[in-house]
Amino acid sequence: MQKAMQTGMVVAVILAVLTIVEYVFAVNFDDDTIRFIGLSFAAVGKAALIVYYFMHVYRLWRVEEAH
Amino acid sequence: MHALKSVAGAAGLGMIGFYLGLGFVAVLRAMLGYPDAWGGEINIVGGYVFGLVGWLMGIGMWGIWIREWFGLKTYQRRAPGWQRYFTFNTDHKVIGIQYLVTFIVVFLLAGLLALGMRLELASSGMQFISHSQYNGAMGLHGILMIAVAVAAVIGGAGNYAVPLMIGADDMAFPRLNALTFWLIPPVAVALLATPFLGGIETGWTAYPPLSTTTNSSQILFDLAIITFGLTSILGGLNFIITIIFMRAPGMTWGRLPIFVWSMFVTSWLAIFFTQGFAVALLMILLDRVAGMAFFSAEAGGDPLLYQHVFWFYSHPAVYIMVLPGFGLALEVISHFSRKPLFAYRYAVGAFLGILGLSGVVWAHHMFTSGMPNYLHGPFLVATELISIPTGLIFLSALGTIWMGKLWLQTPMLFAMAVIFNFACGGVTGIFLADVPTDIHLHDTYFVVAHFHYTIVGGEIFALFAGIYYWFPKMTGRMYNETLAKLHFWWMFIGFNLTFFTMHLPGVKGMNRRVADFPESLDNLNMLVSISGWLLGLSFLVFMYNMINAWIRGPVAEANPWRARTLEWQTTSPPPHENFPEQPVIKGHPYDYGVPGSVHGVFPNSGLAGAPSGSAGGGGQ
Amino acid sequence: MAVIAPAEAHRPVHDHLKLNRAGLWLFFFSESVLFGLLLTARFYLEGIQREELDQLLGLGITIVLLLSSVTAFTAETAIEHDNRKLANWGLIATIALGVLFAAGVGYEWSIAHFHRDEAFGTLFFTMTGIHASHVISGIGILVLVWVQLLRGRYTSRDHWPIAGAVMYWHFVDVVWVFFYPALYLVN
Repeated sequence: MQKAMQTGMVVAVILAVLTIVEYVFAVNFDDDTIRFIGLSFAAVGKAALIVYYFMHVYRLWRVEEAH
Repeated sequence: MHALKSVAGAAGLGMIGFYLGLGFVAVLRAMLGYPDAWGGEINIVGGYVFGLVGWLMGIGMWGIWIREWFGLKTYQRRAPGWQRYFTFNTDHKVIGIQYLVTFIVVFLLAGLLALGMRLELASSGMQFISHSQYNGAMGLHGILMIAVAVAAVIGGAGNYAVPLMIGADDMAFPRLNALTFWLIPPVAVALLATPFLGGIETGWTAYPPLSTTTNSSQILFDLAIITFGLTSILGGLNFIITIIFMRAPGMTWGRLPIFVWSMFVTSWLAIFFTQGFAVALLMILLDRVAGMAFFSAEAGGDPLLYQHVFWFYSHPAVYIMVLPGFGLALEVISHFSRKPLFAYRYAVGAFLGILGLSGVVWAHHMFTSGMPNYLHGPFLVATELISIPTGLIFLSALGTIWMGKLWLQTPMLFAMAVIFNFACGGVTGIFLADVPTDIHLHDTYFVVAHFHYTIVGGEIFALFAGIYYWFPKMTGRMYNETLAKLHFWWMFIGFNLTFFTMHLPGVKGMNRRVADFPESLDNLNMLVSISGWLLGLSFLVFMYNMINAWIRGPVAEANPWRARTLEWQTTSPPPHENFPEQPVIKGHPYDYGVPGSVHGVFPNSGLAGAPSGSAGGGGQ
Repeated sequence: MAVIAPAEAHRPVHDHLKLNRAGLWLFFFSESVLFGLLLTARFYLEGIQREELDQLLGLGITIVLLLSSVTAFTAETAIEHDNRKLANWGLIATIALGVLFAAGVGYEWSIAHFHRDEAFGTLFFTMTGIHASHVISGIGILVLVWVQLLRGRYTSRDHWPIAGAVMYWHFVDVVWVFFYPALYLVN
């Protein structure tokens, strides 16, 4: 329980920081193309974190169920 | 009468829901201060949604499913005998037959519309119906037949046969499976109600800007097809999970019957692409009822967006239609050639190849739409690439027939007709994939002839192969073979006469979707109309044979075709739990004539899954 | 006559948890095409053009949705370890934050200075509207699950409804991860 919660909180902090960085970057950056690419990368990264750590996608191919 | 109570009660609840929805939206509109509270198309949307929920709850979803969400005890009504076909039954065999019967009725209905259109098109000028009636008939014929093509083989044959063929006792989500069927009646009701609102003028493709300005039947069309898409997605999801997780022990991917493989690939296509149709129609709906501007160019929208999103689904949709047909044809051809399926692995690879390519060919429907020219080349090439996997499927079929001991029963005749017809459809497709010829042939009867060759010739013939192949399994009775062969030859000749001839006015520039044409094409069109009616009449033989056999045909054996796949190793019709015990798979399903090979065995009762295996498997 | 069906004696035991989980993932796969097409339509029609929006409100509701994902994660982790009390609070917080998010979107709609009959307005209202409808249905599912939790239905061995509802909630969050920059931040 402790360990699982800790992992979740660390991921949550990373997501929050990424969101703020994304926002500050988008508001203060001028080049359209680079902004678009940067935002795309940030979105894909955040989505991957949520899909892996929050939605536990790996449980799809894990054989044994642990609790 | 249990059946009557079940359906009438659900329909009643649906009607109550419909009026509640109408009223609910009207009250909302009155509260928000709109001038005409009852007059908006959004009232129909509210009515449809409430009515759909009422219908589903009434037919049995409340008792068997939704109560669980509230922590209540679920219950299921069990009706005896034939009456179970009118309840929310979760048995995949019942659902398969529900689908098949429903869609054969829809098929005949939409066929009647086509006969009406051919009557009008028999000679130039306007004889029987007005232009708008013709358009309504054509739109309804189109969308009903699309529904038949999408759901008859997948929902009917697939639901019935897939769990049996993989040795499962049911689908992975039986209640979801029943839901996919019971979403169909509201779709049918909504589509059949469109003529009363003016008819579907846009054809089944519903291109804007016409579809955003035409009569209100477009609303019912959109809602019905979004619901139908939901059916398709949920059904596909169910098939994928069933095939991945519910295979019998020993049923490896390399031993999967080819029909199951084709259903697996089709299901991926369905769950991925069907959203495209839903999104496209949702945009039309929003443009119409919420005053949005997706497709109005003056407000910054773009009608071409619709064509991209729509064909993103609707081109893969033809593979959703035809791949199960191919699988079924290969399946039947192998059993009736008494030979192992030739190049099984290549056929599976071909299905996967079509799955991969199908998503990058959609814009070949749009060569004349005004999209950027640089898109023409890539879509031309991608479209023609898809003939490579399709060719592999043909090679597999021909290689199986080659030197086989052909047993020319009705299912085999239909399966071989699939190969013949689809070859014609494939060859004419090349002219439509090439930009220069397509610009001439676009929107002519050449296109109509082409896709009727691929979908009717490729899939509907396979559907009939499947019906004749599994009829003894489904009903436990045998049809009249002579009448069945009569039906085959009648339909085959009528079909080829109609649609081969139809290419010619197309090449001469006769436009589709128009009720009139130049006098110079009178002779050709008269010939098409006569052969079309010939084709239509052939289904009388089919109907008579099926109904007669189901009621008083001779009792069928458990395995009249001496086939090796699992569905034939149980009684006809199979018991509720499908098999007396869990079958175990020992070998390939198609190893006819391979000494000592078996497919499925029942370890405890010792039944071998290869009745003719010990004798070499070559005979009948 | 109507008969109450007895428990099915014959069925072999399947791992229903595995089937349900894979089925839900396939549903997400299909749904992501829906959202992906809307996102594509946004760039197809408008490129990276956008109208002025309340940036602080946008960032605020994004953080709210992210927080709700964290509380949902807490609820699931708690029930996996039979900590019903924490799971209860996790679900309550998720539902409350979800309502707050939906209210934020509603407020954004009411102050928007563009209209739905122009291209950006069409896209904005459609995308946020379809996303918000998923949020609201997610709240409904969470409420149903929460009521069952209060009635003591779930244990660490048997809590698929919570896990499924929480997965759905995370999926809605993932969609917003893409929609937020596409609507608020580009350009």
